[in-house]
Amino acid sequence: MTHPEDIATVERQLAAVESALAGGEAVHEDPVARELQELALQLRADSPQADPAFAEQLRARVEAGFPAPAESARARQDAALERLAASARRAPSRFGKLLLPVAGVGVPLLLIVVVIFAAGGPPGSNGGGGGGGDEAASGGGSEAPSAAALEPPARDGGFVPRQRNRRIERSFTLELGVPLDDMARVADRVTAVTSRHGGFVLSSSVDTGEDGGGGDFSLRIPTGQLRPALRDLAGLAPVIRQSQEGRDVTRDHVTAQDRLRAARAERRSLLRRLEAAATDEEAEAIRRRLELVGGEINGLRSQLRDLRLRTDYAVVTVSLLVDEDGQGGASGGGGPFDDAVDDAGDLLVGFAGVLIRVLALALPLGAIALAAWLAARGVRRRRRESALA
Amino acid sequence: MPVVPRTDTDTFADLYERTFPRVYAYVASLLRDRSAAEDVTAQAFERAYRKRTSYRERRGSREAWLFGIARNAALDELRRRKRRARLEADPEDTAAVGADDHAELALQRELVRTAMTALDGRERDLLALKFSAGLSNAEIATVLGVSETAAGTRLHRTLTKLRKACNDAS
Repeated sequence: MTHPEDIATVERQLAAVESALAGGEAVHEDPVARELQELALQLRADSPQADPAFAEQLRARVEAGFPAPAESARARQDAALERLAASARRAPSRFGKLLLPVAGVGVPLLLIVVVIFAAGGPPGSNGGGGGGGDEAASGGGSEAPSAAALEPPARDGGFVPRQRNRRIERSFTLELGVPLDDMARVADRVTAVTSRHGGFVLSSSVDTGEDGGGGDFSLRIPTGQLRPALRDLAGLAPVIRQSQEGRDVTRDHVTAQDRLRAARAERRSLLRRLEAAATDEEAEAIRRRLELVGGEINGLRSQLRDLRLRTDYAVVTVSLLVDEDGQGGASGGGGPFDDAVDDAGDLLVGFAGVLIRVLALALPLGAIALAAWLAARGVRRRRRESALA
Repeated sequence: MPVVPRTDTDTFADLYERTFPRVYAYVASLLRDRSAAEDVTAQAFERAYRKRTSYRERRGSREAWLFGIARNAALDELRRRKRRARLEADPEDTAAVGADDHAELALQRELVRTAMTALDGRERDLLALKFSAGLSNAEIATVLGVSETAAGTRLHRTLTKLRKACNDAS
C-alpha cells in the first residue's frame, strides 16, 4: 500500500518533470525534483533525429498516398504480394475487433439453430413434445384445457416394455365451448379438420336451435395424424374439458396372429391328409375338420382386421357445448382475422421458445468464444512485448 | 466515427507533419539502429495510412493511436530480428554529439546513456514514449493499455531508477 505522502511526492515530482518539459529549464527548489527535471530535459535532448532526406522521401510517399513502387516487373510482383499481405492484415484489423466477437456468438448460434431445426423443427411443432405419452396410454382423463395437453401419446407409447410394433387403442374426448351463433360454423370446421387429416366422421349431430344447441361428433382419425388433428380441433374453440384413454391390445393382436398361423398350418396339413385319404370315411372326417378350421381362420382374420382398424384409427369424440359468455373460441368468434391473429401469436410463441433455447446454448458458447478471443489477444500482446523483456 | 476520412490524404499528411520527428525518435530509441528505425517508421506510417479508417476518437488521441502502431511495428521488428541482446547492449550512437556541444554536456549525455543500460526494455520503452515521442501520461496509458495513474507511477519509478543509476555512475 502506497503511503499518501509518497503519492504526493510522486505527483509533485511528475508535475516538476512536466513543468521542465514545458518550460525547457530545471528550476525546481527541491533538489530531487530538480534532478529529475534535468534528467527529463537530457532525455528529450538526447532523442534521435531523423535524416532530413529520409523525412522528405517519406513525406512524398505520404502525400502520394503510399503508392506501390512500379520500377520493374519484379517490383510490381513484390508490390502485388505486399498488397495481398496488407489486405490480409487489414481485413481482420478493420473488421476484426467487431467481427470476431460477433462471429464468436453468431457461428455457434447459427449452428444451434441448424441443429434444432434439423432435429425436428422448433418446439411446439409436430416433431417436438411428445410428453405425457405414457400417461395417456395408461388410460385416465385430465382437465387441462389446452392444446398442448391434448398431445396424444407417442405412437409407440409404452404398454409392453421391449415390445416393438405395439398395438394401442386410443380414444380422445374434447368438449369445446362455442357461442350459439357460431355453432354451425364450428361444426363444419370439425368435419373439415377431420377430412384434412385423413379421418372420417362416424356419426354427428348438431343442434343450433334458439332454445339451446350443441353438437356431438364421433370421429375416426388415423393415429399418424392424431397429433396435428387434435391441435387443430382444439384450436376451433376454447377447450372446456378433454380426456384421453389408451389401451394396449398388443397381446390380443399377437395371440390372434399366432392362432391364425396355427390354424393355417393345420389347414395345410388337413389338405395334405385329404389328398392322401384312403377311405371315404376318413376323407369325410377331414373335410368336417377343414370346415371348422376354415371358420376359425375367418374369425381370426376378422378379429385381426378389427384390431387393426381400432389401433390404426383413434376414436375422437368432440362435443360442442354452448358458450353462454359468447367469448368465442380461439378461432371460433371472429372469423378469418382472429384466426390469423391467433396463428401469428402461436408463431411468435414458437419462435420465442426457439429463441430462448438457442440463447441458453449460444450465450455460454459466445462467452467462451469471447473469452478465447480476449485470451488470444492478450497472448499476442504479451508475445509482442516479450521483445522488451 | 473515423476522424481521418479514407479519401482525405491531406489530413493524414497533417498528422505526418505533426508527428514524424517524434515517431522516428521513438522508434530509433527503441531499435537503436538508424536504418531499421527508418524502415520501421516508414512501415508504421504506411500501416497507419492503410488503417486510418479504423481510428476511433473515443479510444484516445490520434497521436496515441499512431504511436501504438509504431510501437507494434517496432516490437515486431525487435522480435523478428531477435534483437533482445542488442537492447541490453550499449545503444548505437543514434544522435551523434555535435561539434558545438560543450564538453560537460557531452559528458552528461554519456552518463545518462550509460545509466540507461541499468533499465530493462519496458522501462526504456516508457522513457522513449515520454521523452522521444513526447506523449502525455494519458496518451502513454492508451498506448500501453494501462490506466493513466499506472503510467504516471511507472514513469516516476523509472525516472527515479535512472537518476539513481546516474548518481551511482558519476
